[in-house]
Amino acid sequence: MIFAALPEPSRTGDVLMAFLSILFEGAPYILVGTVLSGFIDAFLPAKLLDRVLPRNKVLSTLMAGFLGLIFPVCECAVVPVIRRLVQKGLPVSCAMTYMLSAPIMNPIVAISTLTAFKEFQKVTSIGEIGNATMTLSRLSLGYVVAVIVGLFILRFTAAQLLKPSIVAGIVGGGNGDSEAVVPAADFNTKLVQAMRTAMRDFLDTGMYFTIGVCITSVFNTQVNQAVLDGVAGSNVLAIPSLMGLAFILSLCSTSDAFIAAPMGVFSNAAKLAFLVLGPMMDVKLLFMYSAVFKRRVVISLLIGLFLLVGVLAVPWMSLIQSLAAQKP
Amino acid sequence: MNSKNLIHLVSVALLFLWGAVLLYFYASGRIAHYLPPDGIFRPMVLVAGIGLMIVGLFNLATLHYAAADCCGHDHDQGHDHGHGHAHDHAHDHGHDHGHDHGHDHGHDHGHDHAHDHAHDGCCGHDHGHDHAHHHAEPAAAVAHDHGHGILEESGAVGRLVAILIIAAPVTWAAVRSPDQYSANAVVNKGLYNQNYGSTTRADQFSLRGDGGKNAVAEKEATAKATTAEPLPQAVTTGAAGATSASAPVSSSTPPGGAKETKSYGGFTLADLEAQVPKSKAGNFILDVPELYYTAGDKEVQGVITGQMVETTAQVLPEKVNNEDGRRLRIFRMLVQCCAADARPYSIPILFSETAPTFKDMTWVKVAGKMSYQQEGGQTVPMIEVTTIEETTAPDNATIY
Repeated sequence: MIFAALPEPSRTGDVLMAFLSILFEGAPYILVGTVLSGFIDAFLPAKLLDRVLPRNKVLSTLMAGFLGLIFPVCECAVVPVIRRLVQKGLPVSCAMTYMLSAPIMNPIVAISTLTAFKEFQKVTSIGEIGNATMTLSRLSLGYVVAVIVGLFILRFTAAQLLKPSIVAGIVGGGNGDSEAVVPAADFNTKLVQAMRTAMRDFLDTGMYFTIGVCITSVFNTQVNQAVLDGVAGSNVLAIPSLMGLAFILSLCSTSDAFIAAPMGVFSNAAKLAFLVLGPMMDVKLLFMYSAVFKRRVVISLLIGLFLLVGVLAVPWMSLIQSLAAQKP
Repeated sequence: MNSKNLIHLVSVALLFLWGAVLLYFYASGRIAHYLPPDGIFRPMVLVAGIGLMIVGLFNLATLHYAAADCCGHDHDQGHDHGHGHAHDHAHDHGHDHGHDHGHDHGHDHGHDHAHDHAHDGCCGHDHGHDHAHHHAEPAAAVAHDHGHGILEESGAVGRLVAILIIAAPVTWAAVRSPDQYSANAVVNKGLYNQNYGSTTRADQFSLRGDGGKNAVAEKEATAKATTAEPLPQAVTTGAAGATSASAPVSSSTPPGGAKETKSYGGFTLADLEAQVPKSKAGNFILDVPELYYTAGDKEVQGVITGQMVETTAQVLPEKVNNEDGRRLRIFRMLVQCCAADARPYSIPILFSETAPTFKDMTWVKVAGKMSYQQEGGQTVPMIEVTTIEETTAPDNATIY
């Protein structure tokens, strides 16, 4: 059922091919995230989060880092979700930590990393879980980086971090009108609202996603990847170059381990940097984050994450390896 | 039709567009060129295609509902409550707050006042209006919009650009994607930068059957002794369709870098014949990735050297070690998760005299004698060609 003869391969065709393949990979998860976001918007009582989360913001940020274990989402789905959660009263620091850690600290990603690095074979009992060094390093470093960023932004207000349109939608907003906002609407009305929000969020997120994927697919097909091989051997350059690759390729966090594992010439620390940075920051995310955060915040996040992951990757990898080695 | 309804309909149309593209590629089978057959990604395309249609249809069906209860209502209310609204302003910090950040909350402002911050949309003000509204009569808070979607809050130009960004690339790609890469992309993705002796997907393409796979898996374990028994791999083998014929081989494997040829225990011609189907002419039928990985396995290499092999692949000119022009390079594309991460696995093929010319990317069936040469610090597998002919693309043009 192919409507017309396929065009001849060409440079443009290469970009379109890469574009479509990433779109097919990501769009389903954007839909999942935005439908979820729509239902959060319509059905989640605004005060629920306040009641569930600890009052202490440091504590709640530490907890938010583990939320991915309960609500496993990849990075395409998490952006619309946190946007809605923030408007439902989730502190921005928690939202940021959840946004950064959920695409890493989640069971699906743990399984795919175990599989890609063939670490399933090494873990036959609970006692040997330390043998899965790459998976453990990835999840733990992802958590730590996400929490550091979350704690760092505690000092800022929502208005300093978020786009004005998002701030304006925050329920309550600390201005005392929150009690008036819980709508006494029936189920049908809420459903309509959920679906309308889902549609709007899908298009919003989809637009930024599209921009990011366009850029990614140009890099992906028009730039000679051998440029990277030259720096693979160097310890100084290997980590930044793999982080650069993660940034440009914009892979889904559920599958990037399969790309990292075969990179035989790179050190484990460099692969770790690739696997931690990629789900937190890449070309498509740069644009998707722009739908929620102010531009200055997104740029700071970009630089901060590069530095943080780049500096921590080597010591973290050796730390986890030495911890694993100490086990009897 | 008011602009809010129009935007609503455009939004629905955009959902249908994305859903239709997903469903078309899934239903036509063209998805096979983009995503791997196993794993969750392909089914998710179908699910998302249907999901987008459902969300679109639901929103289409509730357009009137939404309009009656939200927008049309709002319009009346906005004008009626013009004064009330202003009055709210006096004591409503929420509104002041919003204004401080340059966001237009004023419903009536949006339409009536020139000093509006370019937020002439009808939804942009809904929110603010709703707040005021709740104060006045909470029961009427129907389908209130917290949304400030890109299509609602931008100016007319912004909206058009947003619609264009959402619609144009996906349409263009869906209509004009050739479902395969050009020579340019294949070269950029590393055609001439091969790392024979890499072991990363070796288990998938090993000629050793399950026994060989386990040996590879164990080799990849760290130097630390592990009592783990190799689990059976869920990975399917390549075109060779390996059955578990050979017994697991010795697990005592030497450690070392990835680039050198290693020993994985005994392998005989009988093992090869048990694993690999033969053509009518008696050639072993192998895919390029399988030939590629023989370079890293000493025993397999020893057995297969000098054997007649046959493979189907695409061809491009050879650019390395080809001063006398006797070589071409054949490759297959391997995909891990989606076509964007496709990598060419390539080997040179050697002719006794100047190599024939083929149009770039032509599919060829090559038969010849397997040999290995030390070049550029690695063992390069190559076929000394006896016959080469053009052929059509196989069904599994992309290997997953």
